[in-house]
Amino acid sequence: MILLELFLSFMKIGFFSFGGLTMIPVINDEVLVHGWMTAGEVMDIVAVAEMTPGSLGINCATFVGLRTAGIPGALSATLGVMMPSLTLCMAAAHFIMKLKDSPVLESAMSGVRPVSMGMLLAVAVTLSQSTFWAEGAAMSLAGVRWNLVLIAAACGVLLFKFKLSIPKTILLAAVLGLLAG
Amino acid sequence: MEENFKSSEWTASPGEGSEITENRTGRLLGMFWIMAKIGCLTFGGGWSIIGQMQAEFVEKRGWLSQEQIIDFMSLAKSFPGIMIINMSVLCGYAMEGVAGALSAAFGLTAPAILAIGLVTYFYGSLKSNPYVEKVLNGVRCVVIPIILQAAWKLKDKSLTSAVSYGLLAAAFGVCGFTDISKPAVMIVGAALGLLIFRTRRKA
Repeated sequence: MILLELFLSFMKIGFFSFGGLTMIPVINDEVLVHGWMTAGEVMDIVAVAEMTPGSLGINCATFVGLRTAGIPGALSATLGVMMPSLTLCMAAAHFIMKLKDSPVLESAMSGVRPVSMGMLLAVAVTLSQSTFWAEGAAMSLAGVRWNLVLIAAACGVLLFKFKLSIPKTILLAAVLGLLAG
Repeated sequence: MEENFKSSEWTASPGEGSEITENRTGRLLGMFWIMAKIGCLTFGGGWSIIGQMQAEFVEKRGWLSQEQIIDFMSLAKSFPGIMIINMSVLCGYAMEGVAGALSAAFGLTAPAILAIGLVTYFYGSLKSNPYVEKVLNGVRCVVIPIILQAAWKLKDKSLTSAVSYGLLAAAFGVCGFTDISKPAVMIVGAALGLLIFRTRRKA
């Protein structure tokens, strides 16, 4: 039955990917084989995912589910793609709360925390590259989209210096984008 | 954790007013509502969620600590599945157990499901609309300072010694310039942490 199939397919997508664009090949494998979408439609959904809040995985699951089996389809596919979080991560959360005061965990975490910060800063760099340079443009000063750098800098000043809240800053960035994006 | 709670902060959510503040159901509903608000604004890969959860749960309400935000972020990125859903489950569980995890995860997902329904319907006209691209450009820009601010606020809790600066630099290099998987990077971090900080504490 289609609802179960959607659930299982998207559960597989969830377990075999680590979010974001790394999901595309896995998504392709599943939805093309089932004939739920064409390769072109998968690229469209990537564009739709960019336009809407939420991650690519959730958006793709909702979209495919909606197209193949209406609202029940959307819900079962979305639930499927959430399964790794609801099982593996739930178990991890349970253990980490149990071991909260363990000195061993605390030592391990003292190593993980700076590593995690390094990863976060690397994400900022990768995002800067994909945002400030047009797709396919050379990574040179000439290729920089200065208007976007200015928007980012303005938002940075508002966040750091004027302590503007994140939701307000995001809305303002949308307006600035409309004016100068 | 409860004592940091101020009921006045709930006035921003009409219909779920201050009468629901003290009890568990109130916290669960509150988490769902906050996560749904956060879910409306997770553009650009979702990394801004770190800054938003920090503002809502650590700074405003004191339901989580800065350490928990960093720890859960590293776990969320290391586990299969979707980072922002993993993050919601971990934070939700830490606040209110299984019910908290479910409330946070579904709160975050609800706006995305609604939005995709709408956007799919209007996709044809949105695709060719140049203003949509402009707005998205603006929103992508803001994710970068949001991440940097989140990192700035986490630095006191994560950079506690000279060694940790070394780990930060190494992880930045590895994550920024190689394709080594994030779970592997985190496991090495944990092993080094055990090795370095455990022996230190004994000494």
